[in-house]
Amino acid sequence: MKKAFGVLIAAALLFSLVGCGQPAPKEWTIPFLNSLTGAIASIGEYLEWGAERAAKEINDAGGIKGKPVRIVGVDTALDPQKGSTEMARLVKDTLVALGPVPEPVIMASMPIAVENGMPSITATTSLEYAQKFFPWTISWFPSTQDRLAPLVAAWAKQFPDMKQVVQFVENYGPWPGMADAHVAGITGLGMKVLDKVEVPSDAVTFGPLVVKALNEKPDGIVFVCKPASAAKLIKELKNRGWKNMDHLLLFSSADAPDLYATGGKDINGAEIYNYINPNLDTPRWNAFKQAYASSHNGEQPPSLSTNYYDAVYMIKDAIEKTGVTGSPSKLKAERKMIADYMQNVKGFHGIMFDWDMKDGVPTNKPTYIFKIQDGQKVMVQEVK
Amino acid sequence: MPLPLYYFLSITAVNILLSWALYLPYRVAHLHFITVANMAISGYTAAWLVMTLNVPFAWALLAGFAMGGIVGWLVSLFIGDAPTFAVVIVGFTFIFIARTVIENLKAVGGTMGIFGLPNIGGSPDTHRWTIMAILAGLLLLVGFLLHRFDHSRLGRAASAVFVDKELAASLGVDIRGLGMLLQTVSCTIAGGAGVLYGFIYKSFHLDFFTFALVGIAMTIIFVGGYATQWGTVVLAPILYGVPLLFPPSIQEWRIVIYGALLVLVLVLKPEGFITRRFVFSIESFLSGSRKKRNIS
Repeated sequence: MKKAFGVLIAAALLFSLVGCGQPAPKEWTIPFLNSLTGAIASIGEYLEWGAERAAKEINDAGGIKGKPVRIVGVDTALDPQKGSTEMARLVKDTLVALGPVPEPVIMASMPIAVENGMPSITATTSLEYAQKFFPWTISWFPSTQDRLAPLVAAWAKQFPDMKQVVQFVENYGPWPGMADAHVAGITGLGMKVLDKVEVPSDAVTFGPLVVKALNEKPDGIVFVCKPASAAKLIKELKNRGWKNMDHLLLFSSADAPDLYATGGKDINGAEIYNYINPNLDTPRWNAFKQAYASSHNGEQPPSLSTNYYDAVYMIKDAIEKTGVTGSPSKLKAERKMIADYMQNVKGFHGIMFDWDMKDGVPTNKPTYIFKIQDGQKVMVQEVK
Repeated sequence: MPLPLYYFLSITAVNILLSWALYLPYRVAHLHFITVANMAISGYTAAWLVMTLNVPFAWALLAGFAMGGIVGWLVSLFIGDAPTFAVVIVGFTFIFIARTVIENLKAVGGTMGIFGLPNIGGSPDTHRWTIMAILAGLLLLVGFLLHRFDHSRLGRAASAVFVDKELAASLGVDIRGLGMLLQTVSCTIAGGAGVLYGFIYKSFHLDFFTFALVGIAMTIIFVGGYATQWGTVVLAPILYGVPLLFPPSIQEWRIVIYGALLVLVLVLKPEGFITRRFVFSIESFLSGSRKKRNIS
């Protein structure tokens, strides 16, 4: 009996030592907490596509430090319960992760990453959410107020005849804050911002909302709501005689396939702002566009499709430039090295442009205003 | 305790409490979805107390229970004896009202939510063990009370109301009083569950309290068995835990599997898996064993 007990103790000691000498893995595995099923599965699909595309390019060029990188999609199904459990599983031995997506899952699961000191890039949410989890994530966007006020002011400056602006606002996450930033930009030019018209998330008919807005006699309208809702509102506006299409401005989150599918030619002439310029003509972007089109029935890449593409490259840079080995025994230290690197990366070569980070916030990302024409975006101006 | 196990157990416990909160008024045929709104109201209240007024968690939790009970009682004054359909409509409406009020309240973060709730007891480990201990205690307490209720005169009265209100009234059952009592207790349980739900995540967002939560609780109750409290206990961990073990290709079909399961059970086994007859036979078996032990 004693002998058997001794053997058991020896075996336990042996197994406990196994972890100490664990070699670095043969590939870099990056889990991506993403909504692959549920209401925003279509967005989750192209976010994941972007990350996979970057991994493919990196692997074709020899991998990261000679080892291939693999993106592992982890479905959170837009469910905070599932998101938190999946994050709890990942934090044990993951070096760095992508996601989660979107805000409710971020709020439920990022505290677990923070508590365990694991970096996870939340590249679709605003600074206002991301900064709560610094330094274990970074913000993909600058401060809403700093970024959007001058952007909307640049749009409004085009039209000296515009005196009164109304906003359609849907109460979701950071969107009311974005609407407030628009107000700051417009009132700064001496224009009047009328009472906002709230768009219910589950709105089915949009006529009454449009009538309410038109009763205020606006010269310009800003849309801060879901893409399909914005398209339907514009259709209703046109039905009621709205002519000045360029006096309509759609916010960045409306720039999604549903907008163009629902709006068709009715949204031609409306303006929209965003952070990527699809008209860019560089070999890297053209290859991205072509690959996206060939795997998505000829569609153009949506605006968020590059976020996790760039995020994977940022992780690659972090690993290569900080000497991260991927060894499980150095997990804690190497997670910190990656997080610190990303907080203040300088001259990062994104697919669209180069940018710097300062304390987790991008400092010099440009924004663009476009005019919509037959499902395409025609550049109006770049706002820095 | 391993982190995944903690999240699995704690969220399962909250799902059981929420399902029991729905089960209780359903004993008198009230599908009382106001419970989900109460989770949000109580949760946000407790979070505001902790974050803004630095109220200790224990008091905030009690305030959450109290808030749930008060809201439930106030609403029950109007729908204590309402038909099932009216209660459902009031519940859905109340969820919308609660969401609209909360998303317009800057004090609780509006549409952004509340971040960075503190660790109870100062450290993450203490936080987790405290949450688990409270949830375990609550499950035992609420489970015991439900068991007592189901075997009491009130429970039998509730069964009579479920089958035929008029018959129950003719037997002297105070339908309105019983409905009010069950709705108030149900909302009290939901209030406490809501506080604990947010403190598990250490944050509150309105999308934690959506109709998806109603769907989860409904599936747990109706597939598990709506005629006893035990169906919930059996199905909550299965429904939440088993899909986590599915390979990703099957996980994509999770919602379809839930839906198909619900339809199949409603068609083939309308009372759910754990029926009253099944529980009765288990209880008879156990009491028989006990008697035998006593004799020996």
